[in-house]
Amino acid sequence: MMRTRRNPIYKRILGEIEKEIQIHPRYADLQNQFALLLMVEGEMERAESHFLGALRLNPKYREAILNLGFLYIAMRRWKEAEEIFLSEVKRHPRDGFLHHVLGILYLQTGRGKEAAARIHKSIRYHSYYRDYYKKKKVWQRGVVHLNQKAERTLKKIHLNQHYGQFHNFVGLYLAKKGKSTQAVKELRRAARLKPDEFIFHANLGTVYTYQGAYPKAIQEFQKALKIDPSYGMGYANLSYVYGLMSHTQEALRSMKKAVQMNPWYADLHYNLALLYSDRKRYEEAVFELKKALRINPNYLFARINLGVLYEDQKRWKEAKREYRKILRITPDDEHIRKRLERIS
Amino acid sequence: MLKEDFVIQSNIRRMLIRTNVDYSRMDFGTVKGVVYIRGVFQISRLYTDGDEEKVKELTIKTLYSFEKKVKSIPGVSDVIFQLLNWRKERGQWVPLEVKRKEEKENDENKTESNL
Repeated sequence: MMRTRRNPIYKRILGEIEKEIQIHPRYADLQNQFALLLMVEGEMERAESHFLGALRLNPKYREAILNLGFLYIAMRRWKEAEEIFLSEVKRHPRDGFLHHVLGILYLQTGRGKEAAARIHKSIRYHSYYRDYYKKKKVWQRGVVHLNQKAERTLKKIHLNQHYGQFHNFVGLYLAKKGKSTQAVKELRRAARLKPDEFIFHANLGTVYTYQGAYPKAIQEFQKALKIDPSYGMGYANLSYVYGLMSHTQEALRSMKKAVQMNPWYADLHYNLALLYSDRKRYEEAVFELKKALRINPNYLFARINLGVLYEDQKRWKEAKREYRKILRITPDDEHIRKRLERIS
Repeated sequence: MLKEDFVIQSNIRRMLIRTNVDYSRMDFGTVKGVVYIRGVFQISRLYTDGDEEKVKELTIKTLYSFEKKVKSIPGVSDVIFQLLNWRKERGQWVPLEVKRKEEKENDENKTESNL
C-alpha cells in the first residue's frame, strides 16, 4: 500500500487546483497535477480518472503517461504499468530511466532475469545508472548481481521518481504563489529523492534566483549542467544570474555557451549582443543582432538595438534603414521617430 | 550611473518571474537604458477566479506596480509599453478590447443620431 503524506499545504493546493479545474476543465496540465496530488493523498481511483482525463485532452502528454504508470505500480496493477513503460520504451529505446523503471517493476513481480536485462540496458544508456547500481553493489565487474539484499533496497525506491515529481510540482506551485522558502524545501526534497533529475536542480536554481540567493542558484544550475551537459538553457540561466550579480564577464562566458548549444534561439543571440554592446564590442554585437534577426525578422528589439548601435558608430544610413523598418511595424514609437528625425 | 543593458534585462526577467504576470505572451528588450515591453499583458491563471471585473482591476493594479518596479531598476531611463491588450492614456491604463467596444458603441450612437 502506498504511503500517504498528510500535509495541510498539499491539501490546500489540492483544493486550489480543484477550483482551477472548474474554471478551466480542458487544461490537461491541471488534470495531471490534480491527479498527482490525489495519488499522494492516497485517493488512487480518483487519481487514475484524472490522469486518464489529462490523456484524453492530450494523448501525447508524456508526464501524465509516466505518472499513470507509477500510479499503477503503486496500486500493484503490474500488467497495466508494464504496458505503459514498454510502450514508452518502444518510443524512446535509449532512455536509461525507462529501462531502470522496468527493471524495478520486474523485481517487484519476481521476474529476476528480465529485471537484470533491463538494469543492464539502463546502465548502457545512461552513465548515472552505472554509478547508481555500482553504489548499490548491483553492478560489479560488468555484470548485474541481484541478491536478496539488493532486491530489497531497490524495491523500496521504486516510487522515488514519482515522489520527486510530486515535490517538484508542489515546489513550482508555491514558487509561482511567491512562497519561495516553502518552494525551496519542496524542490530540495525532490532533488534528494531523485538526485539525477536535472530539472529539479534547474528549478531550484530558478527559485533561488527569485529569492536573490544567487550563489546557491549558480550551484544548482551547475549541478543541472553536470547531470545533463546538453541542457543549453542552463547556461543561459547561469548567465542571467551572473547578470543580476553584475558579473558580466562570467555572464558573457555562459551566454556564449548557451548560444553555441542553441544556435536557433534568437533571444539568446539578442542577450549575447547586449553583453557585447555593454563592453563596447560593437562589431560582435552587430553580428549577433543580425543573427537574431535572421532567425526572427520580426524581432523588434533586436532591430532597435541594431539601429542604435549603427547610430553610435555614426553609420547613419544603416541606422535610418533600421529605424524606418521599425516604424513600419510600430508607427507609434515616438522614441524611434525622434531618433530617426535627429539623424535625418 | 549608467547600468549595462544586460544587467537591466536580467533584472526585468527576474521581476517578471516573481510577479503574478503570465509572461508567456510577452517580450521585453533594453536599449541604452530604455526598456521595451511588448505583447499581451495578462495575470497568471493561478491568481484569478474567473471573475472578469476582478481580473481587470487586478491587471490595472499590476500594470501600475510593474511599471513602477521597472522604472526603479538602476539605469532604467524610460519604459515603453507596446501592449496589444492595454494602453496607457492620460496616465490611466485602458483595456484595448473594451475601448474598441466603447468606440464602436459611440459610432453606432453617432450614426443613430445622424439618422
